[in-house]
Amino acid sequence: MSWLSLSTSASNQATQPLLNTTRHVLPNGLVALIYRNPTTPTVSVRGRVALGAAYEHAAKSGLAAFTAATLIRGTQHRTFQQLVAETEERGCSVNAGGGMHSSSFGGKALAEDLPLILDVLADMVKHPTFPSTEVEKLRGQFLTGLRESEEETRFQASRALRKLLYPAEHPYSRLSSGSIETVQALTRDDLVAFHQWYRPDLTTIAIVGDVQADQVIATLEQTFGDWQGNTSPPDLLWPAVLHIEQPQQRHITLAGKVQTDIIWAVHGLKRQDPAYYPAMVGNIILGRLGMGGRLSDAIRQEQGLAYYASSSLDADVQAGPWAAGAGVNPAHVQRVIELLLHEIETFRQQGPTAEELDDTKAFLTGSMALRLEANDGIAAMLLGIEEFDLGLDYVVRYPAIIHDVTAEQVTDVARTYLSTERYVLATAGPDTAKAL
Amino acid sequence: MRNNGIHVHQLANQLLVLTQEVHAAPVATCWVWYRVGSRNEINGHTGISHWVEHMLFNGTPDFPKGTLDRIVARNGGVFNGFTSHDFTAYFETLPADRIELGLQIESDRMINALFLEQDVESERTVILAELEGKANYPETWLDEAVKSAAFTLHPYRQPVIGYKNDLLAMNRDDLYHHYQTYYMPNNAVLVLVGDFDTSALMERVEHYFGGLPTGPTIPRVYAVEPEPQGERRVTINRPGPVPYLQIGYLVPDCRSTDFVPLFVLDAVLSGAKSLAMFGGGAQTNRSARIYKALVETQLASSASSSFWPTIDQFLFELEATVHPDRDIAEVEAALTNEIETIQRDGISAEELARVTKQMRAQVAYGAESVTNQALLLGLWEMIDTYQRSGQVLDQLATVQAADVQRVAQTYLTRQRRTVGHFLPTNTGSISTVA
Repeated sequence: MSWLSLSTSASNQATQPLLNTTRHVLPNGLVALIYRNPTTPTVSVRGRVALGAAYEHAAKSGLAAFTAATLIRGTQHRTFQQLVAETEERGCSVNAGGGMHSSSFGGKALAEDLPLILDVLADMVKHPTFPSTEVEKLRGQFLTGLRESEEETRFQASRALRKLLYPAEHPYSRLSSGSIETVQALTRDDLVAFHQWYRPDLTTIAIVGDVQADQVIATLEQTFGDWQGNTSPPDLLWPAVLHIEQPQQRHITLAGKVQTDIIWAVHGLKRQDPAYYPAMVGNIILGRLGMGGRLSDAIRQEQGLAYYASSSLDADVQAGPWAAGAGVNPAHVQRVIELLLHEIETFRQQGPTAEELDDTKAFLTGSMALRLEANDGIAAMLLGIEEFDLGLDYVVRYPAIIHDVTAEQVTDVARTYLSTERYVLATAGPDTAKAL
Repeated sequence: MRNNGIHVHQLANQLLVLTQEVHAAPVATCWVWYRVGSRNEINGHTGISHWVEHMLFNGTPDFPKGTLDRIVARNGGVFNGFTSHDFTAYFETLPADRIELGLQIESDRMINALFLEQDVESERTVILAELEGKANYPETWLDEAVKSAAFTLHPYRQPVIGYKNDLLAMNRDDLYHHYQTYYMPNNAVLVLVGDFDTSALMERVEHYFGGLPTGPTIPRVYAVEPEPQGERRVTINRPGPVPYLQIGYLVPDCRSTDFVPLFVLDAVLSGAKSLAMFGGGAQTNRSARIYKALVETQLASSASSSFWPTIDQFLFELEATVHPDRDIAEVEAALTNEIETIQRDGISAEELARVTKQMRAQVAYGAESVTNQALLLGLWEMIDTYQRSGQVLDQLATVQAADVQRVAQTYLTRQRRTVGHFLPTNTGSISTVA
């Protein structure tokens, strides 16, 4: 049996029904995306407020994440303890958290409990009380988590990388989790003030499961309908990124480690850039396809030098890093850096092979059936569609979008962005001199 | 034979096949499970099952090295493999019209894996890199110390990935012998779940697997961990961010009548958990006893219990990440107090009812994914019988609050436990150079 042809029937079967998604805008501007999936007795809710760490001052790094995490710690109607007792006793879970461009909230429930979790989530988003004792408990958890991260090689390497790629005033120079110093300094007033910027017209909620759209809309109107935004967040000014003239390298020595994490990076591109799809396809070929694309072939499969070697393209509201890396024995660091650079340069020079391009297109379109299998995956897809204004027919148009990507476009984008002369490189691990 | 939507077939070569049609989404999953893991390993050969698992991604004559991942990707699928104490499993999850690819890959590598000398050598260093990646985390050192103290002779004392000196010493013949011993239809279970027609698919199963030869009788595992004669304590002193605490109590295997009450005890302590590994579970620990006693009181930044079904007696575990300002002894005392409170006062009817409701929801969330459904069928068949994957709610209904108190009194004793402390030797030992 031949396995070369494109799987389209399952993909179509998975994507066509999404055209039946209901998009409803409440009078206060909140966007609801509701998709009925009657095949399971469950429901997933994913909410997104278009407000994240990008809005923090550098001295208050971690504020968006801390604010979102505090929403669950007490509301006008429920203490934290009441809130988790009320939801968890029915097997529901609710959560909230903050990232670079979004603050998210959401939950899972049996479909019969959807009204309960919408009521709880609305309470969290509209009426958090930020109780001081709860803020301090949460701060302790954040600080411990940060102390743990501080001693992780991959965390240290990626943080060093961001400092090399972006100036200090650029939000992408920091991680949205903040640092020990900034999280220690955040006050309850900071959290209250940041929450003031949450607004219904910055909010999208995707609800997927065994639900009826009209009933969900009625429940949303009861729970979120009276929410009115107070103040608007300031307009963001994006500073220019740091121009890289020559290779820049940092090593962070961590006691007690036996493996070194290596990350190479350049500036990538925005999600809305016309070259996004060729770049996304190129990144998969370079370091994701199958076990990890060309990088894994060269570093893991052929040389046995790493358990993982891969690349990542962080194309967001602004251009995040386009990065590649591996975890290796300290004795092999130089060799693996040379292999990484060699593979990147070869990809720049030669572009993708016809087979790689076909494989990647087939993977991206064929795997849509897997991405849309469960309620969480569908809800995540709907939120992404709304965030980047892709239209509810996006999943149906997707195969054509991918099909139209050419080898020339991929080569062009690789030559434009990837570089083996102007890049940053961070390594974190044991003392290299001692290890050698 | 048909049971609860699950069809059971046995091929002439003794391959057991479990199929379940699920037509919720146009996807299907193909799993092959082998009854071999670190439980089957002897001194000097630790990590051999995991290494053999890696070798099954290194090529056959029909699918040379480097082609398998591409062909799965090209067909819109994902695949992986993993090794545990009790089993080794491989899966492909694919668009439903591509499920036959899974049958072709798994039947081929059950018998035709090449184990070329140069691939064995290159995989040796890949696995050493995997081991070193794990060793970058302090919790790995503590977990290995607790397991090797809690088990004196049972192979559960060994890490699944193996010891470094064994990984340096084993050779191609050792690996190939292991493969030929355990990777046979009579030691394997094929699990298929998804959007397919069973009779049509079984014809393809017969085509791909029917001609494979039956293998030798599988060596038995005789090890039985002796009754502990007192509390064991281990300490790891290494660089690390904060102290970690891990306590393991020796408890019965999954066939014991006390398994389900212990499962409830775990849920009472830190929420009902799904055994499904591929996402979808709900967080239910924040209203449970350990979170209230350890995290809410700021003794620990996280704390939980865990209990996993196994073939032989294993550990019921408690873990905590100690708050930097607190003493690990305080945290240990508080965790122990939670156990002793249940031993003394039992649990409430409300807690029992809550666990049942939580589990009902976790079962529903897990069923959203065919990959998770196949995982549960295969996992239970490896350690007892696939039928248990559908029985969890019925079994919970038979548990009384008094059973939970009794198993806590019987097994979660100081006599049966190993207490591990990770105590960091450094603070602020980070330096940066340009």
